[in-house]
Amino acid sequence: MALELAGVRRFAAVARHQCVLMAGDPGPLIAFTVIPMVLVSVIRPMMVLLAAVRPDDGTDGTAQATAGMAVMFSLFVLKLVGAGLLDERTTWHTWDRVRASPARLGEILLGKAAPMFAFLLVQQLLLFGFSAGVFGLRPARGWWPVLLVSVAWPLCVLALGTGASTLVRTSAQLSAVGDISAVVTTIMAGALVPSAMLPGWMRHLGPCTPGYWAMSAYRSALTGRAPHGLVVSLAVLAGFALAGLAAGAWAGRRASR
Amino acid sequence: MLSVVGLRKRYGEVVALDGFELDVGVGEIVGLVGHNGAGKTTFARAVAALFRPDAGEIRIDGRQVTHRRRLPHELGLAPQELALFPTTARENLRYAGRLYGLGRRLLAERIEEVAEALGLTELLPRPVEELSGGQQRRLHAAAAMLHRPRVLLLDEPTVGADPVTRELLLRAVRVMAEQGTAVVYTTHYLPELDVLDATLAVADHGRVIARGARAELLAALPGRVTLTFADGAGLRFPGDLREQDTRADGDDVVITAIDPAAAAARLLAANPEHAARLRSIAMDAPSLDDLYRELLTRNGA
Repeated sequence: MALELAGVRRFAAVARHQCVLMAGDPGPLIAFTVIPMVLVSVIRPMMVLLAAVRPDDGTDGTAQATAGMAVMFSLFVLKLVGAGLLDERTTWHTWDRVRASPARLGEILLGKAAPMFAFLLVQQLLLFGFSAGVFGLRPARGWWPVLLVSVAWPLCVLALGTGASTLVRTSAQLSAVGDISAVVTTIMAGALVPSAMLPGWMRHLGPCTPGYWAMSAYRSALTGRAPHGLVVSLAVLAGFALAGLAAGAWAGRRASR
Repeated sequence: MLSVVGLRKRYGEVVALDGFELDVGVGEIVGLVGHNGAGKTTFARAVAALFRPDAGEIRIDGRQVTHRRRLPHELGLAPQELALFPTTARENLRYAGRLYGLGRRLLAERIEEVAEALGLTELLPRPVEELSGGQQRRLHAAAAMLHRPRVLLLDEPTVGADPVTRELLLRAVRVMAEQGTAVVYTTHYLPELDVLDATLAVADHGRVIARGARAELLAALPGRVTLTFADGAGLRFPGDLREQDTRADGDDVVITAIDPAAAAARLLAANPEHAARLRSIAMDAPSLDDLYRELLTRNGA
Protein backbone atom coordinates (compact mmCIF):
# COMPACT_ATOMS: atom_id res chain seq x y z
CA MET A 1 0.00 0.00 0.00
CA ALA A 2 2.83 2.34 0.96
CA LEU A 3 4.57 1.52 -2.31
CA GLU A 4 1.41 2.24 -4.30
CA LEU A 5 1.03 5.56 -2.52
CA ALA A 6 4.62 6.41 -3.37
CA GLY A 7 3.83 5.58 -7.00
CA VAL A 8 0.84 7.91 -6.97
CA ARG A 9 3.02 10.64 -5.47
CA ARG A 10 5.64 10.18 -8.18
CA PHE A 11 2.94 10.23 -10.86
CA ALA A 12 1.63 13.46 -9.30
CA ALA A 13 5.15 14.90 -9.23
CA VAL A 14 5.65 14.18 -12.94
CA ALA A 15 2.18 15.52 -13.81
CA ARG A 16 2.74 18.68 -11.78
CA HIS A 17 6.09 19.20 -13.46
CA GLN A 18 4.51 18.68 -16.88
CA CYS A 19 2.02 21.42 -15.99
CA VAL A 20 4.90 23.72 -15.08
CA LEU A 21 6.56 22.99 -18.44
CA MET A 22 3.31 23.60 -20.33
CA ALA A 23 2.67 26.83 -18.43
CA GLY A 24 6.17 27.97 -19.32
CA ASP A 25 5.37 27.75 -23.02
CA PRO A 26 1.63 28.37 -23.37
CA GLY A 27 1.71 29.84 -26.90
CA PRO A 28 1.03 26.65 -28.88
CA LEU A 29 -1.67 25.56 -26.45
CA ILE A 30 -3.50 28.87 -26.70
CA ALA A 31 -3.15 28.84 -30.49
CA PHE A 32 -4.46 25.27 -30.75
CA THR A 33 -7.46 26.28 -28.65
CA VAL A 34 -8.37 29.60 -30.26
CA ILE A 35 -7.59 28.97 -33.93
CA PRO A 36 -10.06 26.07 -34.31
CA MET A 37 -12.84 28.36 -33.11
CA VAL A 38 -11.83 30.99 -35.64
CA LEU A 39 -11.63 28.40 -38.42
CA VAL A 40 -15.00 26.90 -37.53
CA SER A 41 -16.46 30.39 -37.96
CA VAL A 42 -14.71 30.74 -41.34
CA ILE A 43 -15.48 27.34 -42.89
CA ARG A 44 -18.95 26.77 -41.41
CA PRO A 45 -20.84 28.67 -44.15
CA MET A 46 -19.05 26.58 -46.79
CA MET A 47 -19.80 23.35 -44.92
CA VAL A 48 -23.46 24.32 -44.59
CA LEU A 49 -23.63 24.83 -48.36
CA LEU A 50 -21.83 21.54 -49.05
CA ALA A 51 -24.14 19.68 -46.69
CA ALA A 52 -27.11 21.08 -48.60
CA VAL A 53 -25.66 20.00 -51.99
CA ARG A 54 -24.24 16.60 -50.86
CA PRO A 55 -26.04 15.44 -47.73
CA ASP A 56 -23.28 13.05 -46.63
CA ASP A 57 -24.52 11.09 -43.67
CA GLY A 58 -26.92 13.55 -42.21
CA THR A 59 -24.16 15.67 -40.67
CA ASP A 60 -25.06 19.32 -40.89
CA GLY A 61 -22.50 21.96 -41.80
CA THR A 62 -21.94 23.18 -38.25
CA ALA A 63 -21.36 19.67 -36.94
CA GLN A 64 -19.02 18.85 -39.84
CA ALA A 65 -16.98 22.06 -39.36
CA THR A 66 -16.73 21.64 -35.60
CA ALA A 67 -15.86 17.94 -35.64
CA GLY A 68 -13.35 18.54 -38.45
CA MET A 69 -11.51 21.26 -36.55
CA ALA A 70 -11.62 19.24 -33.31
CA VAL A 71 -9.93 16.33 -35.05
CA MET A 72 -7.48 18.46 -37.04
CA PHE A 73 -6.19 20.49 -34.12
CA SER A 74 -5.91 17.54 -31.78
CA LEU A 75 -3.70 15.95 -34.43
CA PHE A 76 -1.50 19.04 -34.26
CA VAL A 77 -1.30 18.57 -30.49
CA LEU A 78 -0.04 15.03 -31.14
CA LYS A 79 3.25 16.63 -32.14
CA LEU A 80 3.42 18.47 -28.82
CA VAL A 81 2.88 15.20 -26.95
CA GLY A 82 5.78 13.62 -28.83
CA ALA A 83 7.97 16.71 -28.46
CA GLY A 84 7.53 16.66 -24.68
CA LEU A 85 9.14 13.23 -24.51
CA LEU A 86 11.67 13.83 -27.27
CA ASP A 87 12.97 17.03 -25.64
CA GLU A 88 13.77 15.07 -22.49
CA ARG A 89 15.87 12.66 -24.53
CA THR A 90 17.58 14.91 -27.04
CA THR A 91 17.34 18.57 -25.99
CA TRP A 92 17.32 18.71 -22.21
CA HIS A 93 19.06 15.33 -21.71
CA THR A 94 16.93 14.81 -18.59
CA TRP A 95 15.60 11.37 -19.55
CA ASP A 96 18.43 9.37 -17.96
CA ARG A 97 18.18 11.36 -14.76
CA VAL A 98 14.43 10.88 -14.47
CA ARG A 99 14.72 7.19 -15.42
CA ALA A 100 17.42 6.74 -12.77
CA SER A 101 15.00 8.09 -10.14
CA PRO A 102 12.50 5.88 -8.32
CA ALA A 103 9.80 6.81 -10.86
CA ARG A 104 8.79 3.83 -13.01
CA LEU A 105 8.40 4.20 -16.74
CA GLY A 106 4.60 3.92 -16.49
CA GLU A 107 4.47 6.63 -13.81
CA ILE A 108 6.58 8.94 -15.95
CA LEU A 109 4.58 8.39 -19.14
CA LEU A 110 1.22 8.66 -17.38
CA GLY A 111 2.37 11.71 -15.43
CA LYS A 112 3.44 13.44 -18.62
CA ALA A 113 0.29 12.41 -20.47
CA ALA A 114 -2.24 13.46 -17.83
CA PRO A 115 -1.93 17.25 -18.24
CA MET A 116 -1.87 16.86 -22.02
CA PHE A 117 -5.04 14.79 -21.79
CA ALA A 118 -6.65 17.49 -19.68
CA PHE A 119 -5.64 20.09 -22.25
CA LEU A 120 -6.99 18.05 -25.18
CA LEU A 121 -10.25 17.45 -23.35
CA VAL A 122 -10.63 21.15 -22.60
CA GLN A 123 -9.70 22.01 -26.20
CA GLN A 124 -12.41 19.70 -27.57
CA LEU A 125 -15.05 20.78 -25.09
CA LEU A 126 -14.37 24.49 -25.57
CA LEU A 127 -14.69 24.06 -29.32
CA PHE A 128 -17.99 22.20 -29.09
CA GLY A 129 -19.16 24.66 -26.43
CA PHE A 130 -18.28 27.52 -28.77
CA SER A 131 -20.22 25.98 -31.66
CA ALA A 132 -23.17 25.29 -29.39
CA GLY A 133 -23.19 28.82 -28.01
CA VAL A 134 -22.51 30.73 -31.22
CA PHE A 135 -23.94 28.52 -33.98
CA GLY A 136 -26.56 26.56 -32.07
CA LEU A 137 -24.92 23.15 -32.46
CA ARG A 138 -27.14 20.53 -30.81
CA PRO A 139 -26.25 16.82 -30.78
CA ALA A 140 -29.14 14.54 -31.73
CA ARG A 141 -28.87 12.40 -28.59
CA GLY A 142 -27.55 14.90 -26.05
CA TRP A 143 -23.99 15.78 -25.10
CA TRP A 144 -22.94 12.49 -23.46
CA PRO A 145 -21.88 10.76 -26.70
CA VAL A 146 -19.86 13.86 -27.65
CA LEU A 147 -18.22 13.87 -24.23
CA LEU A 148 -17.39 10.18 -24.65
CA VAL A 149 -15.63 10.83 -27.97
CA SER A 150 -13.93 13.90 -26.47
CA VAL A 151 -12.37 11.57 -23.89
CA ALA A 152 -11.59 8.65 -26.21
CA TRP A 153 -10.04 10.60 -29.07
CA PRO A 154 -7.51 12.51 -26.86
CA LEU A 155 -6.50 9.19 -25.28
CA CYS A 156 -5.83 7.82 -28.74
CA VAL A 157 -3.86 10.96 -29.68
CA LEU A 158 -1.74 10.63 -26.53
CA ALA A 159 -0.98 6.99 -27.23
CA LEU A 160 -0.03 7.76 -30.82
CA GLY A 161 2.10 10.73 -29.75
CA THR A 162 3.93 8.61 -27.19
CA GLY A 163 4.59 5.97 -29.82
CA ALA A 164 5.75 8.54 -32.37
CA SER A 165 8.19 10.11 -29.90
CA THR A 166 9.96 6.79 -29.39
CA LEU A 167 10.20 6.03 -33.09
CA VAL A 168 11.81 9.31 -34.21
CA ARG A 169 15.25 10.50 -33.19
CA THR A 170 15.18 14.27 -33.61
CA SER A 171 12.80 17.19 -33.19
CA ALA A 172 13.11 17.90 -36.92
CA GLN A 173 11.97 14.36 -37.73
CA LEU A 174 9.08 14.65 -35.29
CA SER A 175 8.10 18.02 -36.68
CA ALA A 176 8.11 16.74 -40.25
CA VAL A 177 6.30 13.50 -39.43
CA GLY A 178 3.84 15.29 -37.12
CA ASP A 179 2.92 18.09 -39.52
CA ILE A 180 2.69 15.91 -42.61
CA SER A 181 0.74 13.15 -40.94
CA ALA A 182 -1.60 15.68 -39.29
CA VAL A 183 -2.41 17.37 -42.60
CA VAL A 184 -2.70 14.12 -44.59
CA THR A 185 -4.78 12.48 -41.90
CA THR A 186 -7.00 15.55 -41.59
CA ILE A 187 -7.74 15.53 -45.31
CA MET A 188 -8.19 11.75 -45.61
CA ALA A 189 -10.35 11.70 -42.52
CA GLY A 190 -12.79 14.08 -44.13
CA ALA A 191 -12.14 16.63 -41.41
CA LEU A 192 -11.34 19.47 -43.79
CA VAL A 193 -13.64 18.49 -46.64
CA PRO A 194 -16.53 16.02 -46.20
CA SER A 195 -15.50 12.47 -47.14
CA ALA A 196 -18.15 12.37 -49.85
CA MET A 197 -16.35 15.16 -51.71
CA LEU A 198 -12.95 13.43 -51.70
CA PRO A 199 -11.53 11.51 -54.67
CA GLY A 200 -12.47 7.85 -54.64
CA TRP A 201 -8.97 6.50 -53.85
CA MET A 202 -8.70 8.86 -50.90
CA ARG A 203 -12.09 7.77 -49.59
CA HIS A 204 -10.87 4.18 -49.66
CA LEU A 205 -7.64 5.01 -47.81
CA GLY A 206 -9.37 7.18 -45.22
CA PRO A 207 -10.22 4.31 -42.85
CA CYS A 208 -6.47 3.59 -42.51
CA THR A 209 -6.11 6.81 -40.50
CA PRO A 210 -7.17 7.31 -36.88
CA GLY A 211 -8.59 10.71 -37.79
CA TYR A 212 -11.18 9.06 -40.05
CA TRP A 213 -12.49 7.07 -37.11
CA ALA A 214 -12.46 10.11 -34.85
CA MET A 215 -14.55 11.96 -37.44
CA SER A 216 -16.83 8.96 -37.71
CA ALA A 217 -17.23 8.85 -33.94
CA TYR A 218 -17.97 12.57 -33.72
CA ARG A 219 -20.48 12.35 -36.57
CA SER A 220 -22.21 9.47 -34.82
CA ALA A 221 -22.24 11.37 -31.55
CA LEU A 222 -23.59 14.53 -33.18
CA THR A 223 -26.13 13.08 -35.63
CA GLY A 224 -26.92 9.68 -34.21
CA ARG A 225 -26.30 8.37 -37.72
CA ALA A 226 -22.99 7.35 -39.29
CA PRO A 227 -21.78 4.51 -41.49
CA HIS A 228 -19.89 2.70 -38.76
CA GLY A 229 -21.67 3.73 -35.58
CA LEU A 230 -20.21 5.11 -32.40
CA VAL A 231 -19.16 1.83 -30.80
CA VAL A 232 -17.28 0.55 -33.83
CA SER A 233 -15.52 3.88 -34.30
CA LEU A 234 -14.44 3.97 -30.66
CA ALA A 235 -13.24 0.37 -30.85
CA VAL A 236 -11.07 1.16 -33.88
CA LEU A 237 -9.66 4.23 -32.08
CA ALA A 238 -8.79 1.97 -29.15
CA GLY A 239 -6.98 -0.29 -31.61
CA PHE A 240 -4.94 2.64 -32.94
CA ALA A 241 -4.13 3.65 -29.36
CA LEU A 242 -2.93 0.15 -28.50
CA ALA A 243 -0.82 0.07 -31.65
CA GLY A 244 0.78 3.38 -30.64
CA LEU A 245 1.50 2.14 -27.14
CA ALA A 246 2.86 -1.16 -28.47
CA ALA A 247 5.21 0.73 -30.80
CA GLY A 248 6.33 2.87 -27.88
CA ALA A 249 6.89 -0.14 -25.64
CA TRP A 250 8.84 -1.94 -28.38
CA ALA A 251 11.05 1.09 -29.01
CA GLY A 252 11.47 1.63 -25.26
CA ARG A 253 12.59 -1.98 -24.73
CA ARG A 254 14.98 -1.70 -27.64
CA ALA A 255 16.46 1.51 -26.18
CA SER A 256 17.07 -0.09 -22.78
CA ARG A 257 18.98 -3.08 -24.16
CA MET B 1 29.28 0.04 -0.72
CA LEU B 2 29.41 -0.30 -4.52
CA SER B 3 30.72 -3.48 -6.04
CA VAL B 4 30.85 -4.09 -9.78
CA VAL B 5 32.14 -7.41 -11.09
CA GLY B 6 32.72 -8.55 -14.65
CA LEU B 7 30.40 -6.05 -16.28
CA ARG B 8 30.07 -6.55 -20.03
CA LYS B 9 28.10 -4.68 -22.65
CA ARG B 10 28.39 -4.83 -26.41
CA TYR B 11 26.58 -2.63 -28.94
CA GLY B 12 26.92 -4.52 -32.22
CA GLU B 13 30.62 -4.56 -32.98
CA VAL B 14 31.45 -2.02 -30.28
CA VAL B 15 32.49 -3.38 -26.90
CA ALA B 16 31.50 -0.71 -24.39
CA LEU B 17 32.26 -2.70 -21.23
CA ASP B 18 34.63 -5.65 -21.26
CA GLY B 19 34.74 -7.07 -17.76
CA PHE B 20 34.56 -3.77 -15.89
CA GLU B 21 35.29 -4.23 -12.19
CA LEU B 22 35.23 -1.64 -9.42
CA ASP B 23 34.77 -1.61 -5.67
CA VAL B 24 34.06 1.61 -3.82
CA GLY B 25 33.97 1.72 -0.04
CA VAL B 26 31.84 3.79 2.31
CA GLY B 27 33.05 7.39 2.23
CA GLU B 28 35.57 6.65 -0.49
CA ILE B 29 36.00 8.89 -3.51
CA VAL B 30 37.23 7.04 -6.58
CA GLY B 31 38.60 9.10 -9.43
CA LEU B 32 37.61 7.22 -12.56
CA VAL B 33 39.79 8.33 -15.43
CA GLY B 34 40.21 7.16 -18.97
CA HIS B 35 40.07 8.49 -22.50
CA ASN B 36 36.75 9.08 -24.26
CA GLY B 37 35.13 5.75 -25.07
CA ALA B 38 36.90 3.91 -22.25
CA GLY B 39 33.55 2.86 -20.79
CA LYS B 40 33.15 5.37 -17.96
CA THR B 41 29.74 6.69 -18.97
CA THR B 42 28.42 3.24 -19.86
CA PHE B 43 29.53 2.05 -16.43
CA ALA B 44 27.62 4.89 -14.73
CA ARG B 45 24.48 4.15 -16.78
CA ALA B 46 24.78 0.46 -15.90
CA VAL B 47 24.90 1.19 -12.17
CA ALA B 48 21.79 3.34 -12.60
CA ALA B 49 20.18 0.30 -14.31
CA LEU B 50 19.43 2.33 -17.42
CA PHE B 51 20.10 -0.68 -19.63
CA ARG B 52 20.59 -4.41 -19.36
CA PRO B 53 24.26 -5.46 -19.25
CA ASP B 54 25.21 -8.60 -21.20
CA ALA B 55 26.97 -10.02 -18.15
CA GLY B 56 28.31 -9.07 -14.75
CA GLU B 57 26.99 -8.10 -11.37
CA ILE B 58 26.37 -4.79 -9.65
CA ARG B 59 25.77 -4.61 -5.92
CA ILE B 60 25.03 -1.62 -3.72
CA ASP B 61 25.47 -2.34 -0.04
CA GLY B 62 25.30 -6.05 -0.85
CA ARG B 63 22.03 -5.82 -2.73
CA GLN B 64 22.09 -6.74 -6.39
CA VAL B 65 21.04 -4.13 -8.93
CA THR B 66 19.33 -5.34 -12.08
CA HIS B 67 17.35 -3.69 -14.82
CA ARG B 68 14.17 -4.91 -13.14
CA ARG B 69 15.30 -4.38 -9.55
CA ARG B 70 16.82 -0.94 -9.30
CA LEU B 71 17.96 0.80 -6.14
CA PRO B 72 17.30 4.40 -7.12
CA HIS B 73 17.07 5.78 -3.59
CA GLU B 74 20.64 4.66 -2.93
CA LEU B 75 21.99 6.29 -6.07
CA GLY B 76 22.63 9.84 -7.25
CA LEU B 77 23.52 10.27 -10.89
CA ALA B 78 24.79 13.40 -12.58
CA PRO B 79 25.26 12.37 -16.20
CA GLN B 80 27.97 13.88 -18.35
CA GLU B 81 25.60 16.10 -20.30
CA LEU B 82 23.76 18.84 -18.43
CA ALA B 83 20.32 17.49 -17.57
CA LEU B 84 18.17 20.50 -16.69
CA PHE B 85 14.61 21.46 -17.48
CA PRO B 86 13.77 24.92 -18.88
CA THR B 87 12.23 26.02 -15.59
CA THR B 88 13.69 27.84 -12.62
CA ALA B 89 16.63 26.44 -10.68
CA ARG B 90 14.35 25.87 -7.68
CA GLU B 91 11.78 24.01 -9.78
CA ASN B 92 14.51 21.73 -11.14
CA LEU B 93 15.50 20.82 -7.59
CA ARG B 94 11.90 20.50 -6.44
CA TYR B 95 11.15 18.03 -9.22
CA ALA B 96 14.27 16.01 -8.45
CA GLY B 97 13.36 15.88 -4.76
CA ARG B 98 9.72 14.96 -5.37
CA LEU B 99 10.73 12.06 -7.62
CA TYR B 100 12.71 10.72 -4.65
CA GLY B 101 9.71 11.13 -2.36
CA LEU B 102 11.00 14.04 -0.26
CA GLY B 103 8.12 15.67 1.62
CA ARG B 104 7.43 19.37 1.36
CA ARG B 105 9.30 20.49 4.48
CA LEU B 106 12.26 18.16 4.04
CA LEU B 107 12.50 19.11 0.39
CA ALA B 108 12.61 22.82 1.22
CA GLU B 109 15.34 22.17 3.80
CA ARG B 110 17.41 20.07 1.44
CA ILE B 111 17.11 22.61 -1.36
CA GLU B 112 18.35 25.37 0.93
CA GLU B 113 21.15 23.13 2.16
CA VAL B 114 22.43 21.97 -1.19
CA ALA B 115 21.98 25.43 -2.73
CA GLU B 116 24.09 26.96 0.01
CA ALA B 117 26.79 24.32 -0.37
CA LEU B 118 27.00 24.93 -4.10
CA GLY B 119 26.55 28.71 -4.09
CA LEU B 120 23.11 28.58 -5.69
CA THR B 121 20.98 30.27 -3.02
CA GLU B 122 20.60 33.58 -4.87
CA LEU B 123 20.05 31.78 -8.14
CA LEU B 124 17.14 29.57 -7.11
CA PRO B 125 14.36 31.84 -8.49
CA ARG B 126 16.15 32.31 -11.82
CA PRO B 127 15.29 30.43 -15.01
CA VAL B 128 17.94 27.90 -15.98
CA GLU B 129 18.59 29.58 -19.33
CA GLU B 130 19.68 32.73 -17.46
CA LEU B 131 22.34 30.84 -15.49
CA SER B 132 25.95 30.70 -16.64
CA GLY B 133 27.48 27.42 -17.71
CA GLY B 134 29.21 27.00 -14.36
CA GLN B 135 26.02 27.75 -12.43
CA GLN B 136 24.15 25.19 -14.52
CA ARG B 137 26.90 22.66 -13.76
CA ARG B 138 26.40 23.23 -10.04
CA LEU B 139 22.63 22.94 -10.33
CA HIS B 140 23.06 19.72 -12.31
CA ALA B 141 25.21 18.23 -9.54
CA ALA B 142 22.90 19.57 -6.82
CA ALA B 143 19.97 17.63 -8.29
CA ALA B 144 21.97 14.41 -7.88
CA MET B 145 22.95 15.19 -4.28
CA LEU B 146 19.59 16.40 -3.02
CA HIS B 147 18.28 13.07 -1.73
CA ARG B 148 21.59 12.22 -0.04
CA PRO B 149 22.38 9.05 -1.97
CA ARG B 150 24.74 6.45 -0.56
CA VAL B 151 26.42 6.11 -3.95
CA LEU B 152 27.06 9.21 -6.01
CA LEU B 153 28.08 8.97 -9.67
CA LEU B 154 29.40 12.21 -11.08
CA ASP B 155 30.30 11.94 -14.74
CA GLU B 156 32.74 14.74 -15.58
CA PRO B 157 30.96 17.24 -13.31
CA THR B 158 33.44 20.05 -13.85
CA VAL B 159 33.87 19.89 -17.60
CA GLY B 160 34.08 23.47 -18.83
CA ALA B 161 33.55 24.78 -15.30
CA ASP B 162 35.05 28.01 -13.97
CA PRO B 163 37.39 27.89 -10.95
CA VAL B 164 34.64 28.95 -8.51
CA THR B 165 32.34 26.18 -9.70
CA ARG B 166 35.17 23.68 -9.54
CA GLU B 167 36.06 24.65 -5.99
CA LEU B 168 32.44 24.56 -4.78
CA LEU B 169 31.76 21.22 -6.44
CA LEU B 170 34.90 19.60 -5.11
CA ARG B 171 34.13 20.86 -1.62
CA ALA B 172 30.57 19.54 -1.79
CA VAL B 173 31.80 16.14 -2.98
CA ARG B 174 34.30 15.97 -0.12
CA VAL B 175 31.55 16.78 2.38
CA MET B 176 29.31 14.05 0.98
CA ALA B 177 32.15 11.54 1.21
CA GLU B 178 32.81 12.59 4.81
CA GLN B 179 29.18 11.82 5.52
CA GLY B 180 29.69 8.29 4.17
CA THR B 181 28.68 8.53 0.53
CA ALA B 182 30.68 6.39 -1.88
CA VAL B 183 31.59 8.63 -4.80
CA VAL B 184 32.67 7.71 -8.30
CA TYR B 185 34.08 10.86 -9.81
CA THR B 186 34.78 10.67 -13.52
CA THR B 187 37.13 13.32 -14.79
CA HIS B 188 39.82 14.29 -17.26
CA TYR B 189 41.22 16.92 -14.86
CA LEU B 190 43.56 14.77 -12.82
CA PRO B 191 44.68 17.45 -10.33
CA GLU B 192 41.09 17.43 -9.02
CA LEU B 193 41.74 13.95 -7.67
CA ASP B 194 44.52 15.32 -5.46
CA VAL B 195 42.10 17.93 -4.08
CA LEU B 196 39.52 15.20 -3.43
CA ASP B 197 42.14 12.86 -1.97
CA ALA B 198 40.59 10.25 -4.22
CA THR B 199 41.76 6.75 -4.93
CA LEU B 200 42.26 6.04 -8.58
CA ALA B 201 40.73 3.75 -11.18
CA VAL B 202 41.97 3.93 -14.74
CA ALA B 203 39.58 2.63 -17.39
CA ASP B 204 40.54 1.63 -20.88
CA HIS B 205 38.72 -0.37 -23.56
CA GLY B 206 35.81 -1.08 -21.23
CA ARG B 207 37.70 -2.32 -18.20
CA VAL B 208 39.65 -1.00 -15.24
CA ILE B 209 43.37 -1.46 -15.93
CA ALA B 210 44.70 0.06 -12.69
CA ARG B 211 43.10 0.56 -9.30
CA GLY B 212 44.48 1.73 -5.99
CA ALA B 213 45.68 4.63 -3.90
CA ARG B 214 47.30 7.40 -5.91
CA ALA B 215 50.51 7.21 -3.89
CA GLU B 216 50.85 3.46 -4.45
CA LEU B 217 50.30 3.73 -8.16
CA LEU B 218 52.62 6.70 -8.46
CA ALA B 219 55.33 4.94 -6.46
CA ALA B 220 55.65 2.41 -9.26
CA LEU B 221 56.43 5.16 -11.74
CA PRO B 222 59.91 6.59 -12.25
CA GLY B 223 60.57 10.20 -11.24
CA ARG B 224 63.12 12.59 -12.69
CA VAL B 225 66.00 14.54 -11.19
CA THR B 226 67.95 17.21 -13.04
CA LEU B 227 71.45 18.06 -11.77
CA THR B 228 73.04 21.20 -13.14
CA PHE B 229 76.83 21.51 -12.87
CA ALA B 230 79.08 24.51 -13.44
CA ASP B 231 81.04 22.19 -15.71
CA GLY B 232 79.70 18.75 -16.45
CA ALA B 233 82.61 17.58 -18.57
CA GLY B 234 84.11 14.25 -17.55
CA LEU B 235 81.21 12.98 -15.49
CA ARG B 236 81.32 9.23 -14.93
CA PHE B 237 78.08 7.29 -14.70
CA PRO B 238 78.00 4.42 -12.23
CA GLY B 239 77.14 1.05 -13.69
CA ASP B 240 73.80 0.71 -11.94
CA LEU B 241 72.46 3.82 -13.70
CA ARG B 242 71.26 2.44 -16.97
CA GLU B 243 72.24 4.42 -20.02
CA GLN B 244 68.65 4.86 -21.18
CA ASP B 245 67.71 6.36 -17.79
CA THR B 246 70.42 8.98 -17.86
CA ARG B 247 70.72 11.86 -20.26
CA ALA B 248 73.49 14.46 -20.31
CA ASP B 249 72.51 17.75 -21.91
CA GLY B 250 75.43 20.22 -21.75
CA ASP B 251 75.99 20.87 -18.06
CA ASP B 252 72.65 19.28 -17.13
CA VAL B 253 72.26 15.63 -16.25
CA VAL B 254 68.72 14.23 -16.22
CA ILE B 255 68.21 10.90 -14.44
CA THR B 256 64.94 8.99 -14.64
CA ALA B 257 64.58 6.41 -11.88
CA ILE B 258 62.12 4.90 -9.43
CA ASP B 259 64.11 6.58 -6.65
CA PRO B 260 65.62 9.63 -8.35
CA ALA B 261 67.14 11.05 -5.13
CA ALA B 262 69.13 7.86 -4.52
CA ALA B 263 70.22 7.81 -8.15
CA ALA B 264 71.44 11.42 -7.85
CA ALA B 265 73.35 10.54 -4.67
CA ARG B 266 75.04 7.63 -6.46
CA LEU B 267 76.04 9.87 -9.36
CA LEU B 268 77.59 12.42 -7.01
CA ALA B 269 79.33 9.66 -5.04
CA ALA B 270 80.85 8.38 -8.26
CA ASN B 271 82.00 11.90 -9.18
CA PRO B 272 83.29 13.53 -5.95
CA GLU B 273 85.34 16.08 -7.91
CA HIS B 274 82.11 17.34 -9.57
CA ALA B 275 80.19 17.68 -6.32
CA ALA B 276 81.67 21.11 -5.65
CA ARG B 277 80.57 22.21 -9.10
CA LEU B 278 76.97 21.27 -8.54
CA ARG B 279 74.78 24.34 -8.97
CA SER B 280 71.29 22.97 -8.52
CA ILE B 281 69.18 19.85 -8.17
CA ALA B 282 65.58 19.79 -9.40
CA MET B 283 63.28 16.87 -8.60
CA ASP B 284 60.23 16.10 -10.74
CA ALA B 285 57.89 13.66 -9.01
CA PRO B 286 55.64 11.71 -11.39
CA SER B 287 52.22 13.26 -11.72
CA LEU B 288 48.85 11.64 -12.22
CA ASP B 289 49.11 12.73 -15.84
CA ASP B 290 52.37 10.76 -16.15
CA LEU B 291 50.72 7.75 -14.53
CA TYR B 292 47.70 7.95 -16.80
CA ARG B 293 49.86 8.19 -19.93
CA GLU B 294 52.11 5.37 -18.78
CA LEU B 295 49.16 3.06 -18.05
CA LEU B 296 47.52 3.75 -21.37
CA THR B 297 50.82 3.27 -23.20
CA ARG B 298 51.32 -0.07 -21.47
CA ASN B 299 47.77 -1.04 -22.40
CA GLY B 300 48.41 -0.15 -26.04
CA ALA B 301 45.93 2.75 -26.16
